Amino acid sequence: MIEALIGFTFAAAILVLLAPNEWAGRLAFAFSLLPFAGSLYLWSGFESAGNALTGGDIAYATQIEWLEVGGRTVSWFVGVDGISLPLVVLTTFLVPLAIVSAWTPIDARQSQFYGLMLFMEANLLGVFTALDFFLWFVFWEAVLVPMYFLIGIWGGPRRKYAAIKFFVYTNAASLLMFIGFMSLTFALGDSVSSFALPEITGAIADGGLGSFAGLAPETLATAAFLAMFLGFAVKVPIVPFHTWLPDAHVEAPTPVSVLLAGVLLKMGTYALLRFNFTMLPEQASALAIPIAAIAVISVIYGAMLALAQKDLKRIVAYSSVSSMGYVILGLIVFTEYGVGGATFQMVAHGLISGLMFMAVGVIYNATHTRMVGDMSGMADRMPVAVGILVAGAFGYMGLPLMAGFAGEFFIFVGSFAAPALPYAPLFTALAMFGIVVVAGYLLSAMQSTLFGPFELETDYEVGPAPFHDVAPLAVLLVAIIVLGVAPDIFFEMIRDAAVPVVEGVTVDG
Amino acid sequence: MTAVASSIPPEWYLLLAAAVFCIGLFGVLTRNDALYFLMSVELMMNAANINFVAFALYYGDLTGQVFALFVIALAAAEVAIGIGIILVLYRNFGVTDVTVPTEMRW
Amino acid sequence: MIDVFSYVPAIVLLPFFSFLIALGVGKYLPKGGAFGGIAATAGSFLLSLWVLATVAGGEAANRTLYTWASAGGIGPTDVELSFGILIDPLSALMLVIVTLVALLVHVFSLGYMNDEGETGLPRYYAGLGLFTASMLGFVVADNLLMAFMFFELVGLCSYLLIGFHFREPGPPSAAKKAFLVTRFGDYFFLIGVVAVLATFGTAQFAGPESFPALAEAGEVAWTPGGLALDTWFTVVGLLVLGGVVGKSAQFPLHTWLPDAMEGPTPVSALIHAATMVAAGVYLVARMYGFYALTPTTLAVIAFIGGFTALFAATMGLVKDELKQVLAYSTISQYGYMMLALGSGGYVAAVFHLTTHAFFKALLFLGAGAVIIAMHHNEDMWDMGGLKSKMPVTYYTFLAGSLALAGIFPFAGFWSKDEILYEALVHGLNDPLLLGGYLMGLLAVPVTAFYTFRMVFLTFHGEPRSETARDPEPVRWNVKGPLTVLGVLAVVTGFINMVPVQKVLGLEGIDLLHLWLDNHWGGIEGLSSHHYGDIGPYSSGSLVGGEVGTVLVGAAVSLGLALTGLLVAWRLYNVPSPTEHTAKLGGIKDVLYNNYYLDELQVWLAYRTEDVAGGANTFDQGIIDGVVNGVSSVSLFGGSRIRRLQSGVVSQYAMLLTLGLVALLLALGVTGGWFL
Repeated sequence: MIEALIGFTFAAAILVLLAPNEWAGRLAFAFSLLPFAGSLYLWSGFESAGNALTGGDIAYATQIEWLEVGGRTVSWFVGVDGISLPLVVLTTFLVPLAIVSAWTPIDARQSQFYGLMLFMEANLLGVFTALDFFLWFVFWEAVLVPMYFLIGIWGGPRRKYAAIKFFVYTNAASLLMFIGFMSLTFALGDSVSSFALPEITGAIADGGLGSFAGLAPETLATAAFLAMFLGFAVKVPIVPFHTWLPDAHVEAPTPVSVLLAGVLLKMGTYALLRFNFTMLPEQASALAIPIAAIAVISVIYGAMLALAQKDLKRIVAYSSVSSMGYVILGLIVFTEYGVGGATFQMVAHGLISGLMFMAVGVIYNATHTRMVGDMSGMADRMPVAVGILVAGAFGYMGLPLMAGFAGEFFIFVGSFAAPALPYAPLFTALAMFGIVVVAGYLLSAMQSTLFGPFELETDYEVGPAPFHDVAPLAVLLVAIIVLGVAPDIFFEMIRDAAVPVVEGVTVDG
Repeated sequence: MTAVASSIPPEWYLLLAAAVFCIGLFGVLTRNDALYFLMSVELMMNAANINFVAFALYYGDLTGQVFALFVIALAAAEVAIGIGIILVLYRNFGVTDVTVPTEMRW
Repeated sequence: MIDVFSYVPAIVLLPFFSFLIALGVGKYLPKGGAFGGIAATAGSFLLSLWVLATVAGGEAANRTLYTWASAGGIGPTDVELSFGILIDPLSALMLVIVTLVALLVHVFSLGYMNDEGETGLPRYYAGLGLFTASMLGFVVADNLLMAFMFFELVGLCSYLLIGFHFREPGPPSAAKKAFLVTRFGDYFFLIGVVAVLATFGTAQFAGPESFPALAEAGEVAWTPGGLALDTWFTVVGLLVLGGVVGKSAQFPLHTWLPDAMEGPTPVSALIHAATMVAAGVYLVARMYGFYALTPTTLAVIAFIGGFTALFAATMGLVKDELKQVLAYSTISQYGYMMLALGSGGYVAAVFHLTTHAFFKALLFLGAGAVIIAMHHNEDMWDMGGLKSKMPVTYYTFLAGSLALAGIFPFAGFWSKDEILYEALVHGLNDPLLLGGYLMGLLAVPVTAFYTFRMVFLTFHGEPRSETARDPEPVRWNVKGPLTVLGVLAVVTGFINMVPVQKVLGLEGIDLLHLWLDNHWGGIEGLSSHHYGDIGPYSSGSLVGGEVGTVLVGAAVSLGLALTGLLVAWRLYNVPSPTEHTAKLGGIKDVLYNNYYLDELQVWLAYRTEDVAGGANTFDQGIIDGVVNGVSSVSLFGGSRIRRLQSGVVSQYAMLLTLGLVALLLALGVTGGWFL
C-alpha cells in the first residue's frame, strides 16, 4: 500500500515534468489528491498498536530484501505507526494546498516546479514511512535535491546564497548523523543482521552494544547520540544551528516555504524522536538538562528574534524556530503527554505555519512587498485573506480550540512535573513565556500591516485575492480548528506509540 | 637463448628497467617540447614492459608477456592520439611547447 | 421529565451559531445579521431562565460531556482533559446575567450601529455572537482547563470587537494592548492550570475528585521539589490570580481597559458588565473552594482589590470623556469585588458582580445613547442640559449612577455595603484586610463624586455646544434596553437585603445568601457555608455587636457616598460648570495621565524591542557570522590551493614525480627498507 503511494507520487512527478507548462499546475494538483486519498485510506484502516521501533505492530508493513552491505541486509522496509501516520497525512494534505498556492506566484517553468514538488512529496513520504536505515537515508538525502532546485530556481534575489547555504548546512549535518548511526550499527556487531530500525532498536535495548573503534559501549552510545543530535538539530533547527532557516524561507517562493516549514522541519524532530529518543533513551535522559535548556533558549531566543524582524516571512520563520523549541522540550521530558504533545505539535505547527506562509504569500502576490513598514490597512482591500491570516496568527499564538494550543498545552502539561527532567517546572514556565512574546510580535506586525488606513505605493489597484489563493487558506484553517477541537483524532494514536518511548527511561522515585 | 636469458639474475633486468624509466622521467621533467614528451613517455612504458617480460620469464608465466603486448598496443594508440593532440596544439599556438598553452587552470 | 441540563450546551451554541450565520451570510441578511444574534441570545436567555428555575427546584449538574484529549501520563499522574458543564446556583445566576445583558446589548446595537449607518455589521454581530458564546462557555465550564480555554477566546473576541473600526489607527492599537496585557496575565494563569493538573491530576471544579476537594484533603500527586502544601497552594493560587488580574483589569494590569473604550459602546457595555472583565472575578468565585484554603492569596486578593478600587477611582476624577469615567469606575468596582473575595465575602462579591452587571451595562448603554445624541462626541465639556432633551436616558442613567455611587436604596448600595461590611468584620483581625477595607471605604466618596460630576456635566446645566442644544433623538431600540436595565438597577439590591435582615431579624430576605448557600439545592462543596468553614477568617465586631456593626458600617459608607455626591452637586450642578480640577495642581496631571503607568508599560515594551534588536544583531553577526565564516574559510582556502593548478603540464608532471618519490620514501621509512 505504502509502496503504491510513494510509487504513484514518483510517477506523477515524472508525468508532470513532461506536461506542458500551461496545465502542469492543475495536473499536479489533480495527481496530488490521490496520495492524500491514499493516506486517508491508510488512516481509515489504521489501528494503533504501539511503536513501530519497539516491537509494536507495524501497519501496512512491507519488507523486501534489497541488497547486502557489510554482512547486513538492506531491505525495502516501510510501514507506519501512530507517530508516522499523522505526519504522512500532514504531508499529503499540505502538498495539494501548496500546489494550489503556487498557481499565482509561479509563472515560469511550471512543469519543472510542480514535478519537483511531487518528487519532494514522494521522498518525504519515504522519510516518514521507511523503517530501514539505508532506505530512510536515501529518502532523507533525496529530499534535499528538489528543495535545492526549488529555492535556487524560483527563489528571491538571494536565492543562490540561500539554496547553497541550506544544502551544504543540512548535508554536512547529515554526514555527522550518518557517522553517528553507523558507529552504533558497527558497535552492535553480530547482534544485528540488517539495517532494519526495529531490529537495531531492539538490539540496543537488549544491551547488544559492544565497543567499537576503541570506545567503550557507554562512551560510544553517548558519542553517537551527540553526533545524531547535532545532525538532526540543524534540520529542526535548534538554536544555534538555525540561521539557514530564515534565509531559506525568505528566498523560497511561497509554496516551497509552506512545505519547508510545514513538513521539512518535522523531518528533524521526527528523526530525533525515532533515533535519539527511542533508540538511546538513557543517553537522552542523561543529557536532559542541557537539551531542555537549548529547547527553552530556542523558544525564547527565536521569539525575541522574530520580534526584531521587519520582513513578514522572517517573522514567521523565526517563530518556527520558537515553536520547534516546544517540540524538543516535549520530547526530552519522556512523558506520554510530553512526547505525544511534541508529535502532535509537529502536525499542528505544520498546518499553522503552512497557513501563515501561505497567507503572507497571498498578501505578497498583491503588494509585491513583505516589509512591515511598506504597507498598512491591507484588511481594507483583501478582507477574506486578512481575516484568515488573523485567525491563523491567533492559532500561532496558541488560541484554544485551535491545533497549536492543543500541541503546546499537551507539551506543557507533560513537561511541568516530568520526573525525567530536573527543574521541570522552571523549564516549562520559562518556555511558556514564549506565548506572550509570540502574541507581541504577531499582533504588532498585524497592527501595522493589516489595520489602520490603507497605504501602499503601487501603480495598480489592489483588490481581493483570487479564489484559488484564498481557498487553500480556508481549508487549512478548517483543519486547524478541527484538530484544535478534537485533537484526539491524532493524539490518541500518537500517545499509544509514545508509551514505549516513555518506558525507555526509568526514573527513580 | 632461453638459457642465456634466464641465467641473468632478475636484478639486472630491474636495474635496466629503472634506468630506462628514469631516463624517460628525466625527459618529461626537463623538456618542454611535446614531441620529446611523447618519446619520453614511450621510454617509460617500455621500462614497464621490460619488467613485465622479465618477471614472465622468471616465473615461467606468460601473463606478463601478454601484458607487455597490451602495453605495446596501448602505446601505439597513445602515440596516435598524442600526435593528434600535438598537431592541434601546433595549429592553435604555432609551437609544440607544452608550457605555452596554460588556459586550463583555475 | 425533560432534562434541562442536556440543553445547557445549546445556551453556549446558540450565540455561536449566530456568529457563524453573521459571518457566513450576514451581508445578505437584513440588519447585517442582528436578528440572528437577538434570536440566539433571547433563546439562550430563556434557556438560562429555565436552568435557573430548575436549579431553584433543587437540581444541579456536574457532567463531563466530551473528552478533548484522552488519558495519558504526565509523570507523577495521569490526566484526561475534557469539557463538561457545571450548573450550580452560581453558574445558573451568571448564565442569566450574561444572556440578559448580551440580549440587551444586541437590541441596543440596532440603534447604535445599524441606525448610525456603520459598515461591517456582519463582522460586528459575528463578534458579539462569538463573545457571548465564549463567555457562556466559560461560565458553564466544569474544569479549570475548559475555563482557561474559553477565557482566552473571550480575549480573542475582545480583540476583534475593540479593534472593530480597524481602518482608524486607534482601535487596532487598543485591541492589541487589550490582548497583550491580558495575555501577560494569562501566562501566569496557564502555568496555574498546568500546575493544578500536575498537582492533582484533575482540574475539575466540583465533586469529591475535584481539585478544591483534593486540596482540602491534602491529597496531591506531586509538588515541586518537596515544597510544603500550603506554600505550593499559595503559589498556584497566585498564578491563577495572574489571569484574573489581567482580565478583571486589576492593578497593575488594568491599563488596557480605558484604552478599550476605542471599541463601539455596546461592546464596552458587554465587556465591562457581563463578559470579559467579569470573567476574572467569576473565576475566583468558581474556584473559591481552593482559594479559601490559602490565606496568603486571599489577603493578596483583598489588598489588590482595595487598592485598585481607590486607585482607579482617583483617576476617574479628572477624565473629560464620558466613557473614560465609566472605564475607571469599572476598574474600581471590580476592585471592590476582589476585595470582597479576598476578605471572605464570597456572596458579597457575587452580589456586587450581579448588581454591577446591570447598572454598569445601564450606564454604558446610557452613555451610548448620549453618544448617539451627541454625534459621537464624547467630551463631557461639550454636553450639558441633556436632561430635558432625553428624559428616558436621563432617568435611567441617574438610576445607574445612584447605584454606582452606592446610594440607598439602589442596587449598588446593598452590594457595596455588604462588601465593606465583610471586609470590616474580617479585617478587624487582619491588618492587610483592614488596609483593603480602608482603601475601599475611601473610594466610596470618590466614586460618588466622579459619578455625579459625570451626571451633572452631561445632563444638567446649560448646553455647551451646538449638538447638545439639538441632540439627535434615539429610538425604541435604545430606550427599551435602558428601561429594562434601569428597573433592574433599582430593584436588584432587594435580592439580598442582609442589613435589613440582620437589624430587623427578618428571616429569608437574604435571598442571594440562601441561594449561594445551596438552600434550594446545589452541589456538595460549592456552597458559601462550606467556603466559610474552610476559610481562614473569623469575624470581629465593633461596638454593639453584629447589629451595631452593620448599622455603623452602613451609615459610614452611605454618609461618605452622600458627601461625595453633595460635593459634586456644589461644584458641578451649576448652569456653566468650570474645571475645578486645576486646583489639584500637579496631582491633576498625574491623575490625568493615569499615574504614568501607560508610559511605564510602553517604556517596557520598547526596552523589550531593544533587547530583541540586540538579539538580532547577535544572531546575524555572531551565530550566522560563524556559519558564513566556515564557508568563507573554505572558499578562501580553496582559492589559494587551486593556484597549484597552473595549467603548465610540466609542473603537473613534476608534482606527480615528487608525489611518487614522497610515497616511496614514506613506504620505505615505515617499511624499514633503509635500515
